[in-house]
Amino acid sequence: MTRSQHDAEPARGAAAPEPPGPDSPAPKAPVEKIPVPKRPVLRPAVPIYDSAARPHPLVEELQELVRYRDLVLQWSRRNIQLRYKRSVLGVLWTLLEPLMLMTILALVFSNAFGDLIPDFPIYLLSGLILFDFFSRSTLQIVEEIIASQSLAERIHVPRSAFATAAIVTYLVNWLIAHLPLLGLVLFFDRPLSWAIVTILPGMVLTAMFALGIGLVVATIGAFFVDIRLTYQVLLTGWFYATPIIYSLSIVPESRHRIFALNPLLHLCELVRSPIYDGVVAAPVHWWVSLAIGFTTLAVGWAVFTHWRNAFDYRS
Amino acid sequence: MTTAADATPAVVELSGISVRFVVPTERIVSFKEYVLRRLRNQISHRELWALRGVDLDIRAGETVGLVGRNGAGKSTLLKVISRVLRPTEGRVVVRGRTAPLLELGAGFHFDLTGRENVFLNATLFGYPKSLIAEQLPAMVEFSELSEFIDMPVRNYSNGMLARLGFAVATQFRPDILILDEILAVGDAGFQQKCLARVEDFRRAGTSILLVSHDLETIASYCDRVAWLEHGKLVAVGTPEAVLEPFHEAVMSPRDAV
Repeated sequence: MTRSQHDAEPARGAAAPEPPGPDSPAPKAPVEKIPVPKRPVLRPAVPIYDSAARPHPLVEELQELVRYRDLVLQWSRRNIQLRYKRSVLGVLWTLLEPLMLMTILALVFSNAFGDLIPDFPIYLLSGLILFDFFSRSTLQIVEEIIASQSLAERIHVPRSAFATAAIVTYLVNWLIAHLPLLGLVLFFDRPLSWAIVTILPGMVLTAMFALGIGLVVATIGAFFVDIRLTYQVLLTGWFYATPIIYSLSIVPESRHRIFALNPLLHLCELVRSPIYDGVVAAPVHWWVSLAIGFTTLAVGWAVFTHWRNAFDYRS
Repeated sequence: MTTAADATPAVVELSGISVRFVVPTERIVSFKEYVLRRLRNQISHRELWALRGVDLDIRAGETVGLVGRNGAGKSTLLKVISRVLRPTEGRVVVRGRTAPLLELGAGFHFDLTGRENVFLNATLFGYPKSLIAEQLPAMVEFSELSEFIDMPVRNYSNGMLARLGFAVATQFRPDILILDEILAVGDAGFQQKCLARVEDFRRAGTSILLVSHDLETIASYCDRVAWLEHGKLVAVGTPEAVLEPFHEAVMSPRDAV
């Protein structure tokens, strides 16, 4: 970006009327204490907005998201900052929270399923932090889209930036939550292998899936405020339908095909196998996750850009 | 200013702009209710044209006033220009950067410091982070808040918030400045400073679109005035030519136009 800065020149009359003319703060003596307000011209080229040349909302939203990428980062930063400013324990809380939840669940369920799963806490925590990411990020998307409503009605800003920021926020959170998980691995003396690097692409695919789902729920949420409660109930059911506190081995073989319809089962394998079994997840889980990650995101994006925009024209 | 108007290019070109809203006859906020009504076929909408075939050009350096009664379509027109809404029909071309001074301090969060909020606010306007960092000192200086900039804004007064918001929103000279009522930001001294900055912009070639219910303000600032009524443009012309009949129309019974 090229920018030219001009110090205030004492005498400049009416500046050139053509748009790319340099900006000149004219002298305004009595009120201004400091005589040189440097105000640069923000124009690499004159941006032209032509409604007739506007691309399809689906494409336009994507272009705008890329253009507003700094907003995504800044907004994620804000979410993380707020989280830590509000709690006394700060970052420590992010480490402790999943550990505490895991401990409770481990105590409750170790009698039921623990015997079938060696080193149950590792297995459990790995799945828990995935589901925690999924439920929190999708709910946050719904919240953000509702909260940004009045803002987006007044200034031009891609709403998807807020949804993406929610995902980034909880991805960071999820990454930090891997520290106590690694601690458990060391504590139980489980082998660590290079396979754990494959957790990262697994997380990315989960994030894509979560963004897609979040956008769909947020779109419905624009029309009906009660969707959040409905979705929360759905999430609870989803948690129990996913092998997180149990393993698929306790489920009758004949039902495995039904369980395999759950996208989170496959995504969960991607991030759990490397840390729990020390191996990369089976290819089938990768293929299913890839297909589901991309499809869900594409569908969510299309639904959001089409129907969410349509909502603005209701009054 | 008006004399050179014909020679200078239009920064905003509105041609045949119509915006349609779909208004549900009954507000249905619950998903359950919607499904039930849908099944019984009880969903109905009516159309509302907030704008109907509006043609208007705004040239560089020109100050255009927008008048009309409540619900005449003024806000919708601003939204079409600032690309919040897409016109249902017609075409809008905007050459240059718009700065709507409608939302001062957009996205401010009370728990964050002034500095952190400047970054949030400015990225919401689409500025890259590096540029904000570079311009931060100038913004802080203009807002006269350097002592308080690392304090959470919950400790700011309303005037201080508005000053910071104004400083960020006007750090860069826009090509089109959208003003909804003349800003009353901070104390008298700061208001002077704000007006001086807007005047600077104007002299440097910024076009200003001013919406106001105060006809004297419109008369003293604007080169031209556009009058909206029921989404249609009734008249465009010099303040003298438009404001007089508009004033009469407003004072007379509602169905006069």
